[in-house]
Amino acid sequence: MSGVLTIARNELRHLARSRVALTGILLVALLSLTAALTSSAYQAEQAGLRERLQHTANEEFESQPDRHPHRVVHAGHFAVRPASGLAAMDPGVEAFTGNMIFLEGHRQNSANFGDARQSSLLVRFGQLAPALVLQVVAPLLLVFIGAGVIAGERERGTLRQALLAGASGPRLLVGKAMALGGAALIIAAPAAALLLWLSLSGPARGSAVLLSAGGYAVYLAFWVVLIVAVSALAGRSRSALIALVAIWSFGVLLVPRMAPEAAIAIDPLPTRVETDIAIQRDLRGLGDSHNPDDPYFAAFKRKTLAKYGVTKVEDLPLNYRGLLGMEGEKLTSSLFDRYADSAFGAMARQSTTMDALSALSPTIAIRRLSMTAAETDLAGYRRFMEQAEAYRYDLIQRLNLLQATAVTAADDAAKSSDAAAEARSRISAENWRKMPEFRPSRPTESAVLARAAPSFVVLATWLAAAALLAGFAAHRISRSAT
Amino acid sequence: MNDVLREARLFLRLRAALAAVLGLFLLAAAGTAAGLVEVARQNDAIRRIAPQQAADVQAISDWVSRDKDAGNAAYYTFHATWDPPSDLAFAALGLRDVAPYLLRVRALGLEAQLYEGDIGNPEASLPGRFDYAFVLVYLTPLFAILLFHDLLSGEREAGRLQSLEAAAGDARRLWAARVGVRVTALLLALALPFLAGAIIAGTAGWKAAAVLLLILGYIGFWTALCLVVARMTRSSVANAMTLAATWLVLTVIAPAVGHVAINTAVPLRQGMELSLHQRTAVHKAWDIPKAETMQAFFATHPEWAATAPVIQPFHWKWYFAFHQVGDQSVAGMSRDYRAGILKRAAWSERLGYGLPGVAVQLALHRLADTDPAAQIAYQDRIRAFHADLRRFYYPYLFNETPFGAADFDKAPAFRAKGDGGTLPAALFAGLLIVTLGTAVIGMQRSRRPRR
Amino acid sequence: MQAETPPVAIHDLVVRYGERRVLDGLSLSVGAGEVYALLGGNGAGKSTTLQALLGFVAPTSGEVRVCGHAPSDEPVEVRRSIAYIPENVALYEHLSARENVTYFLDLAGARRRPGEIEEAFRTVGLAAEAWERRVSGFSKGMRQKTAIALAMLRRASVLLLDEPTSGLDPGAAADFNALLTTLRAEGAAILIVTHDLVGAADIADRIGFLDHGRIVDEARAAGPERFDLRALHALFTRAKAA
Repeated sequence: MSGVLTIARNELRHLARSRVALTGILLVALLSLTAALTSSAYQAEQAGLRERLQHTANEEFESQPDRHPHRVVHAGHFAVRPASGLAAMDPGVEAFTGNMIFLEGHRQNSANFGDARQSSLLVRFGQLAPALVLQVVAPLLLVFIGAGVIAGERERGTLRQALLAGASGPRLLVGKAMALGGAALIIAAPAAALLLWLSLSGPARGSAVLLSAGGYAVYLAFWVVLIVAVSALAGRSRSALIALVAIWSFGVLLVPRMAPEAAIAIDPLPTRVETDIAIQRDLRGLGDSHNPDDPYFAAFKRKTLAKYGVTKVEDLPLNYRGLLGMEGEKLTSSLFDRYADSAFGAMARQSTTMDALSALSPTIAIRRLSMTAAETDLAGYRRFMEQAEAYRYDLIQRLNLLQATAVTAADDAAKSSDAAAEARSRISAENWRKMPEFRPSRPTESAVLARAAPSFVVLATWLAAAALLAGFAAHRISRSAT
Repeated sequence: MNDVLREARLFLRLRAALAAVLGLFLLAAAGTAAGLVEVARQNDAIRRIAPQQAADVQAISDWVSRDKDAGNAAYYTFHATWDPPSDLAFAALGLRDVAPYLLRVRALGLEAQLYEGDIGNPEASLPGRFDYAFVLVYLTPLFAILLFHDLLSGEREAGRLQSLEAAAGDARRLWAARVGVRVTALLLALALPFLAGAIIAGTAGWKAAAVLLLILGYIGFWTALCLVVARMTRSSVANAMTLAATWLVLTVIAPAVGHVAINTAVPLRQGMELSLHQRTAVHKAWDIPKAETMQAFFATHPEWAATAPVIQPFHWKWYFAFHQVGDQSVAGMSRDYRAGILKRAAWSERLGYGLPGVAVQLALHRLADTDPAAQIAYQDRIRAFHADLRRFYYPYLFNETPFGAADFDKAPAFRAKGDGGTLPAALFAGLLIVTLGTAVIGMQRSRRPRR
Repeated sequence: MQAETPPVAIHDLVVRYGERRVLDGLSLSVGAGEVYALLGGNGAGKSTTLQALLGFVAPTSGEVRVCGHAPSDEPVEVRRSIAYIPENVALYEHLSARENVTYFLDLAGARRRPGEIEEAFRTVGLAAEAWERRVSGFSKGMRQKTAIALAMLRRASVLLLDEPTSGLDPGAAADFNALLTTLRAEGAAILIVTHDLVGAADIADRIGFLDHGRIVDEARAAGPERFDLRALHALFTRAKAA
């Protein structure tokens, strides 16, 4: 063990004395710090903005004057996606999803005002966050400072001297990996500090922080071990460097970009316009509320009349329009759910396809793990959309129920032509204040962990594979130092 | 010419270099193919809409034409708009995966409809698409570095540099020939797949020429930069490292920092606030005297001021008027929001004057008409079309003209604009100046005595 | 150290690379306190002999023993007792002479008394001003001295030297020979691999002529003249011609 520490210390001294390596490490650490600071400032601002907007929306909803409930159905409400706890660490798909959705009766709107749509093309170069630094930049820096870690010693002849002095191949590789790992720690320190701060200051869960930190530790360890192994196997630093940059370009740049192409080709998504048209078509197929002779709504009428033991709509104890509204909303909503489920299902399959490519690129695995822990993945977005839809449905049905119970059928029928009836059809503003507010719940801790677990296994497998390669390289070095 | 032939023959014997050029060729071909497939998918989606849309309108017409209420027609009928990919979109798909290229609008308040998104998997958008632009902007520099990092140092390390230069007599001609051969190889690897794609997509000649110019300029920049580094007479490893670090700064770090800086300097809260305001402005009409709404409407539409006043609790013309007034009340915010997006784009262009990777990225997307400006232009066309729709429906509503089945066919049809894309001359100039500047530094360094 | 098992003992060593027999029945031994010079032209098998002693090449047949251990089976034990000084001494360029020596001693797990390193530097004749200097500015002679100081500190009982005097100016070469004499007096077994006949004759106790992977002739130093240079030269040319 003492030999390992000696080697690690010597290598660190080498890195510290080589100005290029030291500058690189410090610059990337600085970049990591900048990313942590700007990203957390941005996310804090976003969180504040969204909270404020949701608050304003709630206030505006509650301060509506006396209105006919159906007016409130159309005036609608807004659901704003709250910022997630670890978004500062990894904004994930945040920029590519809408953050605000307009909730109204009979319609399901899209979430709008995502950052990507309102940013310049620069967003396509990646967003400055610790995740970008750790996933993309840090491995390349480690490649730069580590490619020659053994190959360079071989070129200069000190490798043979070290072996003759009693260093074995495994000890040499472990020692070098420890030194390189030290450099990785310096780079990752600001991100780790950010994680710690996010967990202490509240928004992030301890388990998510540990998961994220553990994932990045395994990811960077993979790179460190791979670099040392390739450096040990390569004849010269230059071939080690070129091989490692090629591996980096393939795994970090190329495969993550090709993955969506494969996913989209396998599971294409419908367009929104087509979906809208299809929903309208299906709706007409189910029952046409505009057609007085529509069999579906005729049956509904019969059923309702029978339920209350009356023969005429006018004799119902409730306002039939309100009941009709509820039935209509139930129909449309079931279609919305069905189409949304199918679209999200296709997206989830696309994501599974992309995840499968983590067999070619550990970067895909760490991205998945990091986004999942940060709740900034597709599942987080879907969760928001589904909760917003559930809230919309509940809100609209409460309003429809109010129409059925608090507005008389006679006033409702006359309200478009009779001003007095119109005035009576308005119900107290008190009712709006009684409506529940939109409070999306976060996924459970175990759900997050379960979703991230496979990626963690993939990362650990990558590390194990790199360790196997390193073991082989160490064995070879011990056998012959040429 | 003999120099070039000799060096070309030598180059063809370098297996690693050939493999690199072939690899770049395959990636460029794959990027082109992926772009063509995506463009075909988008065109296909646009083509699919027309019959579905016609059926949808027909279904509405079926029940509306029974009592011929123009209000119902205007309220329930959606009208399709679309933004077909340009003849160069295959090379740079840009924002077309986050901004919709299909949108249906109706004559109600536009500001509540204009910012609707499409169904997309954000996880697929996150890493960015694999298209030709990606191969050119990100990957090509790495291949240039691979080919050029040991141009001089490799010969020196092999101990051949002096004898080589002595044998060549004119060392400049030797190096010019070597550089020329490698640049040509890169150019062919990039240009051939692109040109094939351009022929398939029917790209306008001037655009294809402009893209070739961009490719040449970008290879030129990286070659010049490699020469600058090569003249510092250090080892091949040090050269490769310096160049790759420069690549990292120019194509990953600087744009990411620039993105944060621009988005912080030009905040765009107007979008979400606009939605809230518009909704409130529209629906408050139910609670205020109708004359107030109509007054505000007549201020911009005096031609309808003489129509009968609204005295009933509900009238369609009042309903559409308050939607119009709602749009008018957020017009300022909407303009700010639009201007903000363009301002962000303008700042990123300024960044492009100094960063060649950004310049090529932006120029390519401008030529392909897939950048934020293109998205704004599509929104502007939707605005104009929406104004047409209002102009079409208002006479029916205000004159209380019955709206029959035949009237559905009279509605204005959206006319998509032809292939967009303009030549971003300033970005070309920026790329040229930075490349020339780098080349000049490369030349100056060479006067320093070499070890 | 028993007299019957010399620290370096090679018996009938054959090393084959594919079809080629690089060493073909090589036998030689170096006793404690003896300097043996192995002379040979290019391709005679000199460096393979060193590789075999260092355990980097396994014998095809025959036997190699360093202090009683087979290098290919017990490389760690063998390397503990060997100091190898290549033609161009490889040191960490970013470290000073003292840091280099400390590092390698730490790697070997060797203990040292305080002041021992300085003592060794003084013994090998490394000027005090150079001790704390980075070795990147060192001449070949200074590098060799650093390496020999390290060998002394490690108490290596076997010293392998690859072309030690090539590229040294006459003064430095004389210093070097004096140093070897000191080490020999301390009981080290020293094997020098070289093609420099005159240099070898200055210091060696025995000279072996290596050709096509075996010793074709051996000369032993005798009398105040030690070697008859003319006779040696004849042997050398004959060996190369064989």
